[in-house]
Amino acid sequence: MVEAAPRVPDKRQMSKPARRFWRNPASLIGVVLLAILLFIALLAPLISPDPIAQDLSQRLKPPSSQHLLGTDQLGREVWGRVAHGAIISLQVGVFVTLLSVLVGVSVGLFAGTLGGAWDNALMRVTDIFFAFPSLILAMAIAAALGPNLTNTIIAVAAVSWPSYARLVRAQVLALRDREFVEAARALGTPQVSIALRHLLPNTLTPVLIQSSFDVGQAILTAAGLSFIGFGAQPPTPEWGAMVSETRNFISEAPWASSAPAIAIAISVLAFNLIGDGLRDALDPRNTK
Amino acid sequence: MLTYIIKRLFFVLFVVWGLTVATFFISQILPGDPAISALGDKATDEMIQNFRDKNGLNQPVLVQYFSYVSRLAVGDLGTSLRTGRPILDDLRDFFPGTLELALAALLIAAAIGIPAGVLAALQQNKLPDVLVRLLALIGGATPIYWLAILLLETLHNKLRWLPGPGRLDAYLIAPPRVTGLVGIDAIFAGDWQVWSDSVMHLILPAFVLGAFSAALLARMTRAAMLETLNQDFVRTARAKGVSNSTVIVRHALRNAFLPVLTVLGGVLGGLLSGAVLTESIFSWPGVGRYVTDAAISLDFPAVMGVTLLAGVAYSLINLATDLLYAVLDPRISYG
Amino acid sequence: MRRRFGAAAALLSVSLLAIGVAQNSRSSTLVYGGDFSDLITLDPGTSYEFSGGLVTDNLYETLVKFEGEDLSTLKPGIATKWTVSDAGSSWKVVFNLRNQKFSSGNPVTADDVVYTFDRAIALKGNGSFLFDEVANMKVGSTKAINKTTLEVTLPKTASPAAFLNLLTFNIGGIVDSAEVKSHVVNNDYGTAWLKNHSAGSGPFVLNRWDQNQQVVLEANPNSRLLPLLSRVILREMKEANTQKIALESGEIDIAENLTPDMVAAKAKDAKFNVYKADSLRLQYLGMNTGADSPFKDARVRQAVRWAVDQDAIVNDLAGGNARKIQTIIPAGLFGYNPATPYKVDIEKAKSLLKAAGKEGGFEFEYLVPQGSCGAGIPCSDLAAKIQSDLAKIGLRAKIRQIVQSELLGIYRAQKAQMVMVGWSPDFPDPDGNATPMSDYGAKSLAWRNAWQNDTAGKLAQQAALEPNPAKRAALYKQLTELQLEDGPFAILYQPKVPLTLAKTVKGYLRNAQGQVRFEKISK
Repeated sequence: MVEAAPRVPDKRQMSKPARRFWRNPASLIGVVLLAILLFIALLAPLISPDPIAQDLSQRLKPPSSQHLLGTDQLGREVWGRVAHGAIISLQVGVFVTLLSVLVGVSVGLFAGTLGGAWDNALMRVTDIFFAFPSLILAMAIAAALGPNLTNTIIAVAAVSWPSYARLVRAQVLALRDREFVEAARALGTPQVSIALRHLLPNTLTPVLIQSSFDVGQAILTAAGLSFIGFGAQPPTPEWGAMVSETRNFISEAPWASSAPAIAIAISVLAFNLIGDGLRDALDPRNTK
Repeated sequence: MLTYIIKRLFFVLFVVWGLTVATFFISQILPGDPAISALGDKATDEMIQNFRDKNGLNQPVLVQYFSYVSRLAVGDLGTSLRTGRPILDDLRDFFPGTLELALAALLIAAAIGIPAGVLAALQQNKLPDVLVRLLALIGGATPIYWLAILLLETLHNKLRWLPGPGRLDAYLIAPPRVTGLVGIDAIFAGDWQVWSDSVMHLILPAFVLGAFSAALLARMTRAAMLETLNQDFVRTARAKGVSNSTVIVRHALRNAFLPVLTVLGGVLGGLLSGAVLTESIFSWPGVGRYVTDAAISLDFPAVMGVTLLAGVAYSLINLATDLLYAVLDPRISYG
Repeated sequence: MRRRFGAAAALLSVSLLAIGVAQNSRSSTLVYGGDFSDLITLDPGTSYEFSGGLVTDNLYETLVKFEGEDLSTLKPGIATKWTVSDAGSSWKVVFNLRNQKFSSGNPVTADDVVYTFDRAIALKGNGSFLFDEVANMKVGSTKAINKTTLEVTLPKTASPAAFLNLLTFNIGGIVDSAEVKSHVVNNDYGTAWLKNHSAGSGPFVLNRWDQNQQVVLEANPNSRLLPLLSRVILREMKEANTQKIALESGEIDIAENLTPDMVAAKAKDAKFNVYKADSLRLQYLGMNTGADSPFKDARVRQAVRWAVDQDAIVNDLAGGNARKIQTIIPAGLFGYNPATPYKVDIEKAKSLLKAAGKEGGFEFEYLVPQGSCGAGIPCSDLAAKIQSDLAKIGLRAKIRQIVQSELLGIYRAQKAQMVMVGWSPDFPDPDGNATPMSDYGAKSLAWRNAWQNDTAGKLAQQAALEPNPAKRAALYKQLTELQLEDGPFAILYQPKVPLTLAKTVKGYLRNAQGQVRFEKISK
């Protein structure tokens, strides 16, 4: 567990994990991949063609100098669609994670700090969410709210917050009876302030590690929802939807479905590598 | 121990209740009319009203909910709005397909993931380790539906190494139903032709479904092995001159198995979500497809049935892993 | 490790053996691959779905039927002869039945027909409206005069021709009353049993139906229609790609839902035949003409018709598996108007928008179903194509792709701005399109688009009951022209159903209602 002193961060201790992170080739690769993705995502309109312009005379053309990654069944540029899809998937991943961290951390902090009946009630709700088959729940929510990207974000967040609630609650329970918390309580510090100023900061490390993995998982789940038709609307160049729309052309035009699928895999990989790197760097047990 | 089990079983009931509330809530905010979905475009307003009356859709939500729960209490899951059959019958038909697929996937995942993790841990930072980690990373990041399409195209369509979609060759007739698992029923019937064909049909979808879990298991096993290998008792055993393979098998593996066990439970639960994506591509008649079709036609009693089934399965698997944990690790006991 | 290889080899040899054994039955079995996921019952009395019809047509015989691809001449089925007579206040239709047997061995009698018709009305299934609303029949309208003579009495509000036509549907399949009655539970008319059993006199009997997997039909030894093949298996495959690879590997003999590109590729392959069946379906855009809709002005709707690039849709997206059509009655039916005055003319469309005061264009919601639209074009592709066509005249369509039932819910409540859906008539008569699409009072398509045009409504009503063909044709010409100008629809195309068959399959014919006689197929 995190043993760092609660208030005054020690400079040397902060920099050691950082150094560990940057020296780990895995996390370096992750960061580089993410940087490339970000670059493509932000500059897509400058470096790639229009993702929705159709040219039916140029359907299903293989990759060439004219069509970098080939064209799809409507003669749209696959490269343009993949590049413009980057910002969508990154946004979905980040917003889902932010939303589920917000909800999950609040619930966990609340439950852990208050304890008793509140703790019990909140954790049982969390258990129910765990018991729900996640894709079915996300599908039902997306169907209920109507398919679009915002609702996809809500649906995926709805299935990914409970793990944060459990994580944070466990941290809080471990910290609750520590001296510095006891001391603060003895000084008459209000509960809210203890929770926010003493407990919360100490739970952030595992949350950070978990969330870097979750951005990738959220991208994967959201693309899965789009694949079965409960996500982005045509002609949005969302990667999962692109795989879905082009899957029937796998024999004749494998590039059309492979390019977005590989893009999904690379983004998930990038976040997993960064997550691994963060965990190795921040988790003191794992000093090699 | 017994009181603990009883307590946990009560908890399963609680989960069931929670799932009914959640699903009911979602079904109420759902746009669209299940009656139109069941009756089609040409249905008259009168037909729609009749349908709604017959299925109790015109009653107040709370009345609907309570009648559902009271029927559930006697084991009646209601009637599917889409197929018009008792949901229990539908699940009886479709669940074995998914169970078969999930068990095979789990088997494949364990058979690949655990040895790979052990190998990686023993060869830490050497080539096998790097390869296993790389494959695990890729396996954990690849969209399962694309993997399904790709492998179907290559291993079946291009290379013809494995049979294509479906549970059996079209010309073979499934054996009489005993368990619903075609492979097992074929053994009962002594029909080896059907047996081998069903096993061959299972390999590809089960591999696709299990790939993600295999990656997860490889990572977990590796981490757990590394941790135990560095622990004092293993070091001591080694210092005492116990042979390397004995140390690995008797001490390290056994202890590393505990965290892996936890993941295994979760993996089986997660396979249902994967089944939603895999079953349609492999024309596999299972609950994953059933629930997708049900969701598309707003057949919420059916969605609820599958959700409950999955929830109960998940809770029971968790209970089983926890108990197994206690058996394997004498330090843990439940009062 | 070696032992594992041994096991794999053994496994492989066993499965090779399996293929060898299975080979024997292959030549007498037809395997038909398609998306049969709409199959929910095989009871002809309640079945109304397309896939249900494909099966029940071959399990049950009807009194009269269509043969081959023809939909204009009724041929004898169980009835060898039928006569329609005017009985003053009603129509009397008398049928003479032939001597034959059900699969159970029971004789087919007039009492079985009475039971079948009354049962279908009483069951209130999805297709019951054909009997009670279209033909205005009630329980008791059908009487057995003797074992082989049957009389149906219809009120004058019904059309005897329409009645005879609809007897060819699923609901007209005659069931073995003795057999069905023996399986009645809780007054259900045996519908729970008939859902997955058969009791008919058709060329096949149901062997088994595994939901979402396959329907297995076996030759009916008691039928007078002896099939050329002993077994037909309908294998459910939802994905086009799955069907394609199953067809290539020889696992299926017929694939029903290949994409237009796959069909084009197979057409060039010597191992396959492509058979393009007609359909009476129209794929169309419906535009709401209500007071607060941007499509209220007829000129805006015309602009849409001038903007949509039908040729590209028909030739490129549908790969030619569709007919370009702009009028509301499909080709193949009486009253079809082949006029196609609209072609892509962006300037004209823009000037119409300008005249309607919508010069800058506007944004609107465009509802699109999930899955595949007619001729195997994915709805998402078709929607994206139309969106880009409309964008050229400044109309900004926001696509919302939702499940069919949700879309219909919105459409039926008059709440859609623009929808893209399909429509097929219930029986092969122009009225199956003219009234729903023109008569606001019929509360069907015209109503859903809030299009109230009294002239159109009257024309449709008049034409429906007009007995003189020349006069009727003139009325439909007038109506289709009016619709071309003012109607709420932009007809996109009339799809064909391209089927890909292994070269060995012979005798496959399919009419525009989707009926296929399996007994005539050989391989």
